[in-house]
Amino acid sequence: PTPMETKTNPTGQVQVRFTTRNPELTVGDTPILIPTSLKRYGLSQVVNHLLKSDKPTPFDFLIQGNLLRTSLDDYITQNGLSTESTLDLEYIESTLPPQYLAAF
Amino acid sequence: TTKLPPSMSIDEARVLWQQHEESTRQLSIELCEQLRLILEPTLATKMQGDFRTGKRLNMKRIIPYIASQFKKDKIWMRRVKPSKRTYQVMIAIDDSKSMSESKSTKLALETLALVTKSLSLLEVGQIAVMKFGDQPELLHPFDKPFSSEVGAEMFSHFSFEQSGTNVLSLTDASMRLFNYASTNLQVRNKTDQRQLEIIISDGICEDHETIRRILRRAEEEKVMIVFVILDNVNDMKKSSVLDINKVHYITKDDGTMELNIQPYIDEFAFEYYLVVRNIEELPQLLSSALRQWFQQMSNT
Ligand SMILES: [Mg+2]
Repeated sequence: PTPMETKTNPTGQVQVRFTTRNPELTVGDTPILIPTSLKRYGLSQVVNHLLKSDKPTPFDFLIQGNLLRTSLDDYITQNGLSTESTLDLEYIESTLPPQYLAAF
Repeated sequence: TTKLPPSMSIDEARVLWQQHEESTRQLSIELCEQLRLILEPTLATKMQGDFRTGKRLNMKRIIPYIASQFKKDKIWMRRVKPSKRTYQVMIAIDDSKSMSESKSTKLALETLALVTKSLSLLEVGQIAVMKFGDQPELLHPFDKPFSSEVGAEMFSHFSFEQSGTNVLSLTDASMRLFNYASTNLQVRNKTDQRQLEIIISDGICEDHETIRRILRRAEEEKVMIVFVILDNVNDMKKSSVLDINKVHYITKDDGTMELNIQPYIDEFAFEYYLVVRNIEELPQLLSSALRQWFQQMSNT
């Protein structure tokens, strides 16, 4: 493919399916379209919005079993994934100290 | 740009085309008959023209006729049969990877076979076929006749593996092609020319705001664009496009951003879209969308 074809779009979108092992925190398994520019913090906001929680819970995200430390866009590019596929994102309540959470 | 090799050999494509042509035969006759009812009024004969002899006087020519001392004597109208080749129909198929991920490829090829077959049965005019993904590509131009061999050849170009779904560049390229076609591949009776595009896709794409601008231009130029959303929900894991939500960020007056989640279909740019779950539904849905458009056209 040409460079243009492999370049990912910075304003792009991708379908994700949010999953969790905690039955009290499920948000349903219908995919949702989100900007690929989102990182942990933005994703956490989305899940909290879906949970309609008054007191937001910070979440961490696992993608293919790895802790997401970059934007989705970077992860997709670095791991040869595609915005044409639905991504499964597992969320877990963050155990990281708050000052560290702001870092990524 | 580098061109991907055909995803299947021409022999495989021929077999596949034959299968799809066969399995959709009844439906394509059904669609053809429904389209005939909708499209035919513009094929009807009417009184027209400036002739020396004819059936009915053209009243607009009488004064000039007298004023010219009976020299401008083409004052008669005749029943003129317009050319039958009055439609230019472009069919655009989504070749992006989400099509294979959502298991929509079979439905896409069935739809392509069904629509092209019906239109060629109807002898409606000229047919062009595009595929799109990262960028649009013309597979069959308006000025070549359509045949089963053309169908098979088209099939051999689909991979459903492209890494993008650029509907914006498709609509832009389509408008340029329509423009070219109306000036260079003119049908004999220009006033009866109609241009129509049928996009076949899973419906997930970006840039709806910009697409809307191109669609307004299409409306001004009387090009109709129908979007056929293939919504294969037979597979248990797949959700309907009508259920998918999208995250938006809205900038409030005080400059802060507010997270907002809305159904994706609410921002969908195409006014005429249909959601097709299986091929049997297509003739009815497509013809009712076209009927709506023709009614609107004749009211304006
Ligand atoms: Mg796609």
